[in-house]
Amino acid sequence: MNDKSASLLKITLSAVTAAAFIIFLFLIPEIVKLVVIAALLSYILDPLANLLESRGMSRTKATVMIFSGIVMLLVIFYIVLLPPLFEQIKSLQSGLNPEQTSAMVSRLENVLVENLSFIGIKDLDLAGKLHGSMAHAGEWMLSHVLDAASLITSMILIPFIVFFLMKDGREFKRAFVGIVPNRYFEFTLYLLYKLNAQVGNFLRGQFIDAAIVGLMAVLALWLIGIKYFFLIGLFTGIANLIPYFGPIAGAALAIIVSVLQTGGFEMALYVILAFTVIKLLDDAVVQPVVVAKSVDMNPLTVLLVILVGGKLFGILGMLLSVPIAGFIKVVVRESIINYRKYRAA
Amino acid sequence: MSKVWENIFKLHRKHTDEIDDILVKIPIFQDLNIREMNIIKRILHKREYKAKENIFNEGDIGLGMYIIVRGCVRIVCDQENQLLAELCEGDFFGELSLLDEAPRSAAAVAKTPSVLLCFFKPELLDLLERNPKLGSRVLFKLAWTIGERLKSTNEQLRALSGPARQNESKG
Repeated sequence: MNDKSASLLKITLSAVTAAAFIIFLFLIPEIVKLVVIAALLSYILDPLANLLESRGMSRTKATVMIFSGIVMLLVIFYIVLLPPLFEQIKSLQSGLNPEQTSAMVSRLENVLVENLSFIGIKDLDLAGKLHGSMAHAGEWMLSHVLDAASLITSMILIPFIVFFLMKDGREFKRAFVGIVPNRYFEFTLYLLYKLNAQVGNFLRGQFIDAAIVGLMAVLALWLIGIKYFFLIGLFTGIANLIPYFGPIAGAALAIIVSVLQTGGFEMALYVILAFTVIKLLDDAVVQPVVVAKSVDMNPLTVLLVILVGGKLFGILGMLLSVPIAGFIKVVVRESIINYRKYRAA
Repeated sequence: MSKVWENIFKLHRKHTDEIDDILVKIPIFQDLNIREMNIIKRILHKREYKAKENIFNEGDIGLGMYIIVRGCVRIVCDQENQLLAELCEGDFFGELSLLDEAPRSAAAVAKTPSVLLCFFKPELLDLLERNPKLGSRVLFKLAWTIGERLKSTNEQLRALSGPARQNESKG
């Protein structure tokens, strides 16, 4: 076999192996989801482990210490924040302030029937439908977002994977680089080095930004006196990972809850004001400080990415799809730029 | 059975001894204790090259230095294929790339089947972040090594320019 056909065979085999691997990953979406979340978390926590190592700790000890800190935070979360969170979801399941909601919805129904009877709107039964859908939303949240079985599996598996990725991440990287052919070895290391700086800053920035926005939303909604303030604030923070739609989704949810809670629009105005201030603070203060480099994506791309994420990995896929798409975009962009730079030098 | 294990361990020992023997001769890693040397060994990449295989090309962005554990390497000027140096076991090259990302000034080609250890900039930066004491010692030794090479180059230049000046003054 001559050199040309040997290299052609090598390329074909590599392509077939890569395709088989991708198909295999699509067959096990649950495991992929866990590994992706764990990889993101370990990536975010990595600088903390490096800092502890620089103070003289071994990598294993540093990882154990970070985990102890996280367990303590989770215990505090469990004791202080989880009961009200479950209470809020349960109360959402039983329906929002039934009397006021019914009165508000009946008023809305009357207006609609009076003004739109000419197009055939007569008996809407909005109250019944809304009550049913809210109860359904609560059930859906309990079964999908906080499904006990999958939550426990994730709570055990994710920390387990994060622990080993943090402790042995360098060995994994060395093993990966070890299988790269000599010809691409130095370029691969160069690319990983450049990507690490870019992607690390991007991901850490995104998550810190989401945490700050979530905290601001919880505080603002609590001060306004909205029910389920913690749940909506949490949702707003996570939704903030999605550009364009995220902040609007958080605000819309808070406005709907405020209208249903009070039966009027007065509180909704405060909510709009609070979310506008949060958005301005986020754009003017938080993002320039914590997000080193934004990944520009047009609204259509964002929408498609969210739909694909939702289809493949459910609600979590929808929320994490944009940061992951951003990650892929940074990887591809930096790979092309650095390949050109590497070869043109 | 115990003979088998003995042979396996002997093989492993021989292999690590070979790397240890080479590393203690490299000025950058001199004066390190066993624990520090083990940390260094964990961040080095070991690569095997066939005879005539390219290690890097002239013009590629350099990321770090190579240490020859076994075999011989030719440093050549790509365009004229002019031999600049021939390096063997215990020699090292490309250390300037640990400090900057300038293009390689010459190509490196394995003359015989070779085993090289690679020490790259990302690992040096990572070492400085995680273990600043060891990292700065390695960095100091690297600066010293580059300084020594600069001095030796200056001496070679002086030796070359001496006869040239004499010829000029005669002319």
